[in-house]
Amino acid sequence: MKRSLVGAVGMVAAASMVLTACSSGANAGAGGAGADDPNRENPGAEPVTLVLNWWGNDDRASRYAQAVDLFEKEYPWITVTTGFSDFPSYWEAKATEAAGKALPDVFQFDSAYLREYAQFGHVLDLKPLIDDGTIDLSGYDEKLVAGGQVDGKQVAIPTSTNTLAMVVNPDVAAAAGVDLPKDGYTWDDLNTFMEDVAGADTKTADGYKLYGSADYTGTFWIFLQSLVQQGTQPFTDDGKLNFKESDVVEWLKSTADLRGGDAIYPAARAAAVKPKTGLSMNESVGEITWDNFLAAYTADSGKDNLKLIPIPSGPDGTGNFFRPSMHLAAGANTEHPYEAGLLINFLLTNPEVGKIFGTSKGVPGDKAQRDAIEAPAGSVDAQVIAFEDQIGTTETTTAPIPVKGFGTIEASWLTLSEELGNGLTTPEDFAKRWFSEVQNAVG
Amino acid sequence: MTMTISTPSRAAEQPAAATPSRRKRTFGRDTRAGYAFLAPWLLGFFLLTAGPMVASLYLAFTDYNLFGAPSFVGLDNFRRLLTDPDYLQAWKVTGTYVVLGTPVKLIAALAVAMLLNTRFRGKGFYRSAFYLPSLVGASVSIAIVWKAMFIDKGPVDTIQQFFGAPAGGWVGRPEMTMPMLILLTVWQFGAPMVIFLAGLKQIPVQLYEAAAVDGAGPWRKFTRITIPMLSPVLFFNLLLETIHAFQIFNSAYIISSGTGGPARSTLFYTLYLYFRGFRDFQMGYASAMAWVLVVVIGIVTVIFFRSSRLWVHYSGESR
Repeated sequence: MKRSLVGAVGMVAAASMVLTACSSGANAGAGGAGADDPNRENPGAEPVTLVLNWWGNDDRASRYAQAVDLFEKEYPWITVTTGFSDFPSYWEAKATEAAGKALPDVFQFDSAYLREYAQFGHVLDLKPLIDDGTIDLSGYDEKLVAGGQVDGKQVAIPTSTNTLAMVVNPDVAAAAGVDLPKDGYTWDDLNTFMEDVAGADTKTADGYKLYGSADYTGTFWIFLQSLVQQGTQPFTDDGKLNFKESDVVEWLKSTADLRGGDAIYPAARAAAVKPKTGLSMNESVGEITWDNFLAAYTADSGKDNLKLIPIPSGPDGTGNFFRPSMHLAAGANTEHPYEAGLLINFLLTNPEVGKIFGTSKGVPGDKAQRDAIEAPAGSVDAQVIAFEDQIGTTETTTAPIPVKGFGTIEASWLTLSEELGNGLTTPEDFAKRWFSEVQNAVG
Repeated sequence: MTMTISTPSRAAEQPAAATPSRRKRTFGRDTRAGYAFLAPWLLGFFLLTAGPMVASLYLAFTDYNLFGAPSFVGLDNFRRLLTDPDYLQAWKVTGTYVVLGTPVKLIAALAVAMLLNTRFRGKGFYRSAFYLPSLVGASVSIAIVWKAMFIDKGPVDTIQQFFGAPAGGWVGRPEMTMPMLILLTVWQFGAPMVIFLAGLKQIPVQLYEAAAVDGAGPWRKFTRITIPMLSPVLFFNLLLETIHAFQIFNSAYIISSGTGGPARSTLFYTLYLYFRGFRDFQMGYASAMAWVLVVVIGIVTVIFFRSSRLWVHYSGESR
């Protein structure tokens, strides 16, 4: 009896050992298989299947499907299988896949996670593929390409750029009887503008008060932008924070009077209307956000006359940065680095693909793709492209590469700002708690 | 487990005592069959439950971000728990929910069970109707509907406005999310209600009749007959619902749109654990949190069992 039980346990243990051994064996094989890829010398010698993953919605899925069809026509020996999910679940899945060395051959990537994946060698260094011409970045701005480099390795390549803009609803401004901010306006001007709109005490038909904007200090990226405007790079090259608690306190205090004086879109209302915002509810004149969100705001608000204006200027001009976004990366475990390179190149530089995606992933980084976008005058695509062109004539910086743990500290910033908006914490306490979070997340 | 395995084989042992060879054969065949039937469960238990549990116990003492190998850090994760304001907030939120939500839910369940235990037409329909909320889609779909009821311009908001109360819905106001979630759990009282109903059916009618003869009113009958006779069922429900309340996740996740907000007011223990593990990739820390929860639930269970000696009465027990 006892012996049988021991036997059974032993059998189970053996089975689990076998299973574990199997999986690690498979991983070991996957790592080095790419170097002697027969297709590199003689493309098409072996049929290949690639896995391509991205985050997004159905709309993006149908665009990717069209792009993949074109790719498979051009490279008939390659079959691409695809998969997608929403942003949070996407990164949960990727973390687990990375742990099991089972990342997709090619996948959409976000700068927030660059350091984590690069540091532990989970993404392929694409530099050799760029050097041998498999990936052709001649239509790219070098600074944008640098947005995917960590520790001298090209771990991802951004598909597009977006930049912070103030999306405004002229109708709400008119209803409140306040003029939109003028070019070259400062953060103080923005605060005055918010006080003016709230002070007009105009109400919507439903009885909700009109505001100038939500509390912009609650968005981590806007804080980073303000640091860059003051000539401070927010992160050091070795991935540490380059600012102090006092900088955070000062930033949060800049809108303290507005918070106290009911001149900011209320935090409770903002939480209640989620996922919409004050702007998309037509209860707020403007919001500082990424310019490629214009399409979403247009759809949500039901207004087709929303406009993009630059964010407030810093002491030395606007200092706006481009944020490299929607990177593409290849899993370090891919068995087909060459084909992965071909797919990345196709998605990044093929003009037809540019036409398919438009500005839905931001303004394409590749010139040929940008030129291929058919954007009728006045359309959302045309506005976004025009805005980035306008910013591009005065701006020269690229957004800082986020530190390790960026996703965590960004989420923590948002939570704390909700507490600040609800009067449950002070700027000093906010800064203290946020920095203790940084210590754990960034290391 | 050992009990179930040993009972049939011992039974097989006795009649076969005279013929040892036959006994051996039967024993072997029965045992093999037993294990064969047990195998799927055993495999599942060791691979999917016991294995990960042991792994998570080890990970609780490491720094592990899923990407690199875990590095041993001793008690660091547990020490960090003590100073983490979000962790303390998670306990505060969860504790409030357990302490307020569970008794209210059980009172509602018992009250409705007693109503349904009386004679009236359409009893079957009402029983099903009250049980339904705990049945439909576990809790995800219910939570979505619940959120829709309490959002800005939702039904609750409209009623509130009609009575002149401030509008804007409950979802965005940190002070209103806890009452909202407690109401949600109270509303899902179907499962304990059915168990109470079964318990109520077991109470002999003669007891009530005798009490009536002695001149006892409804309240006296309730406190002197119903509650004591129902105490084992009450204990079972209380234990189960308390453990359940500690582990609330789905409704909090959905109602806060996966953020634990507004302003950490729905940052429940398991939600925070999930954030640390899967959003922040701090698996070691999350494992430590999980083990603390296991221990706390264990302690609460022991306290319940100990205290039950004082107030739970089993029939036939001399006390």
